[in-house]
Amino acid sequence: MNGTQQAVGAAASAAARAPSTTSTPAGKIARLLRGKELLVIYVLIVVLVAFASDRFLSVENVANILRNTAIGGILALGLTIVMVSGDFDLSFGGAVSLLNLLGLIALDKGLNLYLVFALLVVGGVVWELLNALLVVRLKMHAFIATIATMTMSKGFIFWITKGSTYYGAYPDNLTYLGRHAFFDVLPANALVFIVMAIAVYLLLDRSRFGRHLYAIGGNSEAATYVGIRVNRQRVVSYVLAGVCVGVATVTLCSKLATAPSTAGDGYQMTVISAAFLGAAAFRVGMVNVRGSILAIFILTTIENALIMLSVPFYFQFIVQALILIAAVTFVSRKNKKGAGPAIF
Amino acid sequence: MYGEPILECQLLCKRFGATIAVKDVSFSLRRGDILGLVGENGAGKSTLIKLLGGEHALDSGTMVYRGKPVEWTNPSHALREGIAIVHQRPLLVESMSAAENVFLGKECVTHLRLLDDQTIGEKARALAARYPVFPDLDLRQPVAVLTAGEKQVVEILKGLSYEPEVLILDEPTASLPKEEADRLLELVRRLNEERHLTVVYISHKLEETLSLCNRVMVLRNGENVGVVDRAAADRPTLIRMMMNSDLSEFYPPKAQGAPGASLLEVEDLQSPQLHGVSLRMNAGEIVGLYGLMGAGMSEVARAIFGLAQITGGRIRLGKTGEVFEHTRVDDMVARGVYLVPEDRHHFGLVPTFTVRENATLAHLGRCLPGPLLDLQREQRLVEHELSKIRVKYADTEQGIAELSGGNQQKVIVSRWLMQECNVFIVDDPTVGIDIGAKHDLYLLLRGLTQQGKAVLMISSEITEIIGMADRLYTMRRGEITAELAGDAIHQQNVLENIL
Repeated sequence: MNGTQQAVGAAASAAARAPSTTSTPAGKIARLLRGKELLVIYVLIVVLVAFASDRFLSVENVANILRNTAIGGILALGLTIVMVSGDFDLSFGGAVSLLNLLGLIALDKGLNLYLVFALLVVGGVVWELLNALLVVRLKMHAFIATIATMTMSKGFIFWITKGSTYYGAYPDNLTYLGRHAFFDVLPANALVFIVMAIAVYLLLDRSRFGRHLYAIGGNSEAATYVGIRVNRQRVVSYVLAGVCVGVATVTLCSKLATAPSTAGDGYQMTVISAAFLGAAAFRVGMVNVRGSILAIFILTTIENALIMLSVPFYFQFIVQALILIAAVTFVSRKNKKGAGPAIF
Repeated sequence: MYGEPILECQLLCKRFGATIAVKDVSFSLRRGDILGLVGENGAGKSTLIKLLGGEHALDSGTMVYRGKPVEWTNPSHALREGIAIVHQRPLLVESMSAAENVFLGKECVTHLRLLDDQTIGEKARALAARYPVFPDLDLRQPVAVLTAGEKQVVEILKGLSYEPEVLILDEPTASLPKEEADRLLELVRRLNEERHLTVVYISHKLEETLSLCNRVMVLRNGENVGVVDRAAADRPTLIRMMMNSDLSEFYPPKAQGAPGASLLEVEDLQSPQLHGVSLRMNAGEIVGLYGLMGAGMSEVARAIFGLAQITGGRIRLGKTGEVFEHTRVDDMVARGVYLVPEDRHHFGLVPTFTVRENATLAHLGRCLPGPLLDLQREQRLVEHELSKIRVKYADTEQGIAELSGGNQQKVIVSRWLMQECNVFIVDDPTVGIDIGAKHDLYLLLRGLTQQGKAVLMISSEITEIIGMADRLYTMRRGEITAELAGDAIHQQNVLENIL
């Protein structure tokens, strides 16, 4: 009895699967490309710009793109981790500015370079733990809580600097990480980004921890009902974001070797845009790691391409905005067909 | 004129991609009809009413409304002509008051074009007085604080405020307690008699349909299987038409012989909502827990599973002899005590996940050969497990939202069955799912007891709990009122102990 029922069941589900699109070659391609529209667009952009400008794919320029992607990329990884679990962070830009300043002061006072780097990572974690305290423990809305901490970071910066850029004497090897490139094509900071991107991808998309994080972002009640300790996971996700903020500060500090009070602010909007833009790829409708990585590459590549094509700089903002609008429209159209709820 | 055709449909068709949701459906709705619409989930009921109400456009077919052929351009077009749909899941603005919701889109304004909240409030009160389903319902409250039943009433008032000629009700009583449901049915009857309101009524509760409607239309796989007059319709006939099989085997046979060892005991459980609840679950038994809405059945399930605050009492696990004064979900899961919660949309499904990811959420360990997930193994595992309980889906990478309610529920159940269980708690698992899927779930629960597991079943449907439970605890206001077994489990006995 049981045997026949299983056989019937298997036949039924096989029959249910039969009309799906996997059988035809066109269907196979459609399935292969599902969620990868943005990747295709990126490749097209690269090819088109390469035809228009012969310097675009030169060794120096590729190194340039990689270098410019690294810091925003690392920050995008951190933001992605908290957004995957349904939270948010608006304060990372301010945190980077503040930590950058504190790091350079410590170097100026003569602290060991590697110790300072380590302390910056710890500082990033402490900062995001503060956010976690407000958001997870005190149950504040993440948006509001991190607006508050962002504002606070600005206050601290102006308190310390009185509004001017901080200058000091720094060790020579400070800028190695930020400015060196292996074989002239792979910048050291891009290597850091790539290593972190792989690690975060494995952690979020290929481990139990990450799957649970996506589940919390999708429906935290359902996550609770399968035994996931939701609040603890959310705190951990903020801690991991803090590591990213810390590492991003290390690479930024090493690149700039100076502390303008808005050092991190320039990354803020690009990184947030990247997270949302990335929601149009791979796991369509959700902020996700691969999407964010692809999106940050798209945004920096386009910025670079516009410079290569001698387009006035202000157009990059307009282009960036149009891409974001197009991507979000794409996502919400997909969602109408039942692919899942929108991000917000 | 009473009895004349008000809406005649010829060969209505609607397809979504490769699926044909409604296929060549023809029927005629007469003024003053209360037409019941029954069928399994996915039979096309919702699609059909959306066609009638202009929420979907027809692929082909014709509709003649009040003697004129019509083609709705959008829902408000149909609404203006007098066809109103009341949806199963209320579409309300949570932050606004009930009255504001009722008059949303047709607000009253003063001569300065400012909103006239006073008139809105008066009109809403007049409306509520005219249609007294919930006489005590204060329409000034924000919708967010209302219960599911009250929200449903607001939705119905919204529909009635358009003074429709044809009112389409999609499972209006699904979330209502019995008393309110009865009052609602009475209201529909009265509107029908006094104003010749024509009603199309969808419900999974066949008794309700049979008592209310003068004709019943049965849909199966998008096709009209037949329209029966009430005189000729009874429960077995309708079920046969809906699923093309017999009612006699609807509930699997109950357990034979003495139950096995005790697997879980609850002793004198106290919480804000529970007052000294004690119960026992034995191997090989389906234990039922039944009471009126709010009597604390779900609270018992949550307390056992570590999701409710316990202020006193103990939970003892038979297999290991462990005693818990406080439980935690992960501890319970590690010991094979699983809960399928009520309201799958709220507590069960992760809507952003694929079928595969939803299916493995509870026991991801089975896809973890090392630190990283083995996605191929995960997919094979899911295909294997889902075929065991006959889940209908196109592929494991589909979004879970694309599945019908019954299949979604099966995915949630199989989420737990990927690993051996000891005690399986199901909280109202068959709400809003079709008869075929219900039957599959019943067989599955019975199968678990045959393997020596204990099942605790909570249900809001009395026939279901009587049909399934080997032993039944009745509850009233947070207390156990009786323990019934064998022949003592019958409707009168149960009702006496819960009311």
